[in-house]
Amino acid sequence: MKKRTGVFVCHCGINIAGTVDVKKVTEELSKHPGVVHSEDYIYMCSDPGQNLIIDAIKEKNLDKVVVACCSPTLHETTFRNTIKSAGLNTFQCEIANIREQCSWVHKDMEKATEKAIKISKSTVERVLRNESLDPISIPVTRRALVIGGGIAGIQSALDLANSDFEVVLVERSPSIGGHMIQLSETFPTLDCSQCILTPKMVEVSKHPNIKLMTFSEVQEISGYIGNFKVKILKKPTYVDPDKCTLCDECTKVCPVVVPNEFDLGLTGRRAIYIPFPQAIPATYILDINSCPGLLPIACGKCADVCEPNAIDFDMKPEIIEEEVGAIIVASGYDQYDKELMAEYGYGKYPDVLDGLQFERLLSASGPTMGKILRPSDHKEPKEVVFIQCVGSRDPELHCEYCSKICCMYTAKHAMLYKHHVHDGQAYVFYIDIRSGGKGYEEFVQRAVEEDGVLYLRGKVSKVFEDKEKLKVWGIDTLIGKDIEIDADMVVLAMATRPSNGAEELARKLKIALDKDGFLAEAHPKLRPVESVTSGMFLAGAAQAPKDIPEAVAQASGAAAKAISILCQERLYHAPTVANVNINLCTGCGMCVDVCPYDALSLKNGKAEVNEVLCEGCGTCSATCLRAAIQVKNITPLQVHEMINACLGG
Amino acid sequence: MVKVEDIKKEAKRILKEGKVKYIIGYKKSTNGLMSVPAFIESPEDVENLIWDPTCVYNLTRFLVDEKRRKAREKNPDERPVGIVVKGCDSRAIIVLLQEKFINRENIYVLGISCETTGVLDEKKLLKKLNGKKAEKVEYDEKDNFIITTLDGKSKVPADEILAERCLECRANFPVINDILFGEKVDRKLDNRFKSLEKIESLSKEKRWGFWKEQLDKCIRCYACRSVCPMCYCDECVVDTINFAVTADTTAEEKAQRIKWVEKSPTTSENFVYHFVRAIHLAGRCIDCGECERVCPMDIPLRFLNKKMEKEAKELFDYDAGFDPDQPSLVSCFKDEDPEDFIR
Repeated sequence: MKKRTGVFVCHCGINIAGTVDVKKVTEELSKHPGVVHSEDYIYMCSDPGQNLIIDAIKEKNLDKVVVACCSPTLHETTFRNTIKSAGLNTFQCEIANIREQCSWVHKDMEKATEKAIKISKSTVERVLRNESLDPISIPVTRRALVIGGGIAGIQSALDLANSDFEVVLVERSPSIGGHMIQLSETFPTLDCSQCILTPKMVEVSKHPNIKLMTFSEVQEISGYIGNFKVKILKKPTYVDPDKCTLCDECTKVCPVVVPNEFDLGLTGRRAIYIPFPQAIPATYILDINSCPGLLPIACGKCADVCEPNAIDFDMKPEIIEEEVGAIIVASGYDQYDKELMAEYGYGKYPDVLDGLQFERLLSASGPTMGKILRPSDHKEPKEVVFIQCVGSRDPELHCEYCSKICCMYTAKHAMLYKHHVHDGQAYVFYIDIRSGGKGYEEFVQRAVEEDGVLYLRGKVSKVFEDKEKLKVWGIDTLIGKDIEIDADMVVLAMATRPSNGAEELARKLKIALDKDGFLAEAHPKLRPVESVTSGMFLAGAAQAPKDIPEAVAQASGAAAKAISILCQERLYHAPTVANVNINLCTGCGMCVDVCPYDALSLKNGKAEVNEVLCEGCGTCSATCLRAAIQVKNITPLQVHEMINACLGG
Repeated sequence: MVKVEDIKKEAKRILKEGKVKYIIGYKKSTNGLMSVPAFIESPEDVENLIWDPTCVYNLTRFLVDEKRRKAREKNPDERPVGIVVKGCDSRAIIVLLQEKFINRENIYVLGISCETTGVLDEKKLLKKLNGKKAEKVEYDEKDNFIITTLDGKSKVPADEILAERCLECRANFPVINDILFGEKVDRKLDNRFKSLEKIESLSKEKRWGFWKEQLDKCIRCYACRSVCPMCYCDECVVDTINFAVTADTTAEEKAQRIKWVEKSPTTSENFVYHFVRAIHLAGRCIDCGECERVCPMDIPLRFLNKKMEKEAKELFDYDAGFDPDQPSLVSCFKDEDPEDFIR
C-alpha cells in the first residue's frame, strides 16, 4: 500500500500569511513521514491553485491530499472535487483549518506558525488513515409538503404545483389566507390586499397538483431529505364541506356568540361560522370550544335547520399519512402579546387598538364596512395617535429586534386614516423611520407632505383615559419637550413574533430556532431559505419579520430549492456515517437515545445504523461506553494519532 | 426484623419447584467473621444461607458472570437465577436492566430490607473491638448490632460500625424484588453527600495533592474493576493485552486497537485509569462501595464516584438505579438542562 501525501498550504492573501509563516509550515510538513510533496500558494482555491494540486497528484503520484487553508465548511467540497478530477477518491482529501482556528485568532507569528504546523501534521495523520468511500444513493419521493397557508405558503405551493410537483398544503386554521387576508390595503401601492390575494387562494383550491388540508396540523415527521413521512392530524369541522351550500341558516339559530378571530374580537361570531366570506375551502365549521355541546340533546339547533344535512356531530379527528421529498415551513407570525404592554392600556380601553385591528377597521369588508369609527361609541375619531415600536427594539423589557414592517404599515395607517377622515389629525410616535425598499421612502414622505401626518420622534410613556379622551403622554426628543395629546383613538404597532406553536413545530421538524424564536436559516447570507435540516426550507415571516414582497420572494426561493431536490431521480448522502462493531456492542441502547437523527435502532440486541439517516455527527461514538461505534474517517485511532501529532509524537 | 428462616423457606420452595436454576446468597465463611457468597443449587444446601451485618457483598456482579457463562453454553438452562439483594444491590440490578444487560425474566430477586441499619465496615469493627476477634455479629430488634466475642455478647450502636455507604444510604429497601423480607422503613438522611464535604472544602492544590498521594498508591490490580457490577465491558480501555479477540475480529480491527493508557502504575496513567472509570460510572454507580472495600491499597475510591453522583443529582436531578425505564444519564438531554457549566 502506497501512502503518498501531498500538503498544500494556502496564504489566503494575508489572511493566513499575515500571521502564519506559510513557507515554514510548507517546509516542516515536507519532512513529516508519509508526505512526499509540499507547497504553498497565494490562493489555493483559485483556478491556478487547484491546478497545482492536480499537477502534483499526477507528477508525484499522490494518493492523499491535505489542504491547509480556511474552514472545511467553505472549501472542503472545492478541494474534494479537485482531487476527484485528478482521479482520486474524494475522501482522500482533508482540510487543515489554519485560518479560522489559527491565523485569525492569534497575533504572535511564531506561536501561530507552530500551531499551524501541528494542525497540518495532525490532519496528515488523519488522512493517512482515511478510507475511500462512495456516496450513499437514495431515491426521492417527488412531492412536497408546505406548512402554513398564508401568502408565503400559498406562493410556495403554487410555484411547486406549477412546476408539476404534487404539493400537500397544511393549514391549521379553517381557511388559507393567513394574516394578509385580514389587511385592508398594502403599502406602498395601496392596492386592496384581499383583491390581490383571493385569486391566488382560488388557484390553490382548484389546482390539480395541490392537496389542501385546512384545519389540520403536522403531528409527526420522520425520515430524511427526499423521503419524509408525515403524519397530519385533520381536526373535525363537524360540517361536511361537500354538502354545505353556504345558505347561512345555521348561524341564524346558533345561540352562542364569541369574539370573531378574523376581526380580532371587534365583532362576534356564532359557534357555527364561516371564517370570512371568501374563505377557502368555502364551508362553515363548528367551533367545538364554544358550541354548547356536540350532543343534539344539548342544542343541535344548527343541525335541525340544515337542509342538506351537512352537519355531522360524529365527525372524528383523522390522522393522514403523507410521503414527501421536501418540506417548506411557512408558519408565519403573530403579534406580540399585548397583555405585556399594560402602560398603553390595551384591553383596558376599547379605543386602544393594535395594528391588525385597525386594518379591520379600514377594510371595506370589516366590521364598520370601511368607516373609521371608535369601537367604544361608534364616533369618528378626530385625533388618532399611532405608536411605533411597541415591544420592538426594547432589549430590556421586550423584543430586542426591529419588527421591520411597522414603520411602513403605520405610515399606511395614518395615510388611510386621513383619506377617510379629512379633518382628522394623525400623530405618529417613532424612534426611527426605516423605509428601505422600493418606493417605501417616497411613501412615507407622501404621508408627511400630502396627508399632513405629524411625526413625533420619541416614545410614549403612558396612555390613560381622561374625560372620554385617551390622554397620551410622550416626548418629542427633537424639540426636547413633553407632549400631551388628547386622542380619540390609539393604534399600537405591535412587534411581530413567531407564530404560536412555532417552537413546538420546530421541535417536531428538528429544525433550529434563533434567539428570538424565529426559525433559523442554515447561513444568514448564503443559505437564507434553507433550514439547518437538509430537505426543509423556510418561507415568510416564520424566519424573520417580513413584508409581503419579501415573504413572496422567499417563498419562491424556497420552492426553487425544493424543486432542486424533487427534480432529481436519486439523492446522494455523505458516506461518513457511524459504524457498529457488533463484537463490542452490549446493546445498552444509549446510542439509540442520543442520536439526534433517529438513525440508530436495536436489532437482535445490537445497535444498527441507518446509513441514510446518519449525519456522522459522532454523538453515538462519544456516548458509547464500550467504544463499539465509530464514525468512518474519524475513528478513535485517527483521533489518537491526531492527538499524538499535536503533542509532537 | 428480617428472619433468615423466611429466606430459607422461600429459597427452598423455589429450588424445589425448579423455578430457579440456583440462588446466589450469603453463607458463613470457613475462615473468619465475614460472610462469603454462596451458590445454592439444591434445596438441601439452603440451610447454609445466612443474613447478618457481615453480608456486605454486592452479589449482582455474579449476574454479569452468569450472562457470560450462559453465552458460552450450547444448551443453556433458561431458568432464572435467584439472587439475594439489599437495597443498594437492587439498584445495581435496575441499572443492568436499564442498560439491557440482563432481562427481568432471567432473575428472581429475593429482596432484603436493611430497615434501620445496614451492613458493617470490617475495619471499623476491628478498631471498635481493639484487636479482639469477633465470632459473630447479629442484628437486634433496634438500631444495635450484637457482637459475640470470646468475652461474650455485647451491644454496639450500629451507627458506630456501619459501612460509610450505609450512613449515606437512600435505598435501605430493595427497589425491585419478587419477594421481600423485612419492612420498608423510612430512614432519615440529613445529607447524602456528607462524606464529600471534607474534600470539597480543600483548595484545588490540596485536592490535587490528596488525589496524587492516594492514586500513586494504586498498583493497578484492577480489583475495583473486577468487583464492580457496572464494569462489564468485554474490552476495557485500559487493557492493552486483554482485548476481546473473537473469531471474526479482522486484522484491520486488531490494527485499529489503540493503547490509550500505559500499564505501568505511574501518576499520569493511574489518574487516567481512575478518572476514566469514574466518568464511565457517572450516572451508573449506585454506591455499593465495593470498589473501595476490595482495594488492597486503601484508596478512597468511593469519593470519586460519590462526587459524580452529586454532580448528576445537582445538575440534572438524576438518580441512578431507581427506574429501569428512564434513559441513562448521558443519553437523556432535556431542554431545561443547565448550561452554566459551559464557560
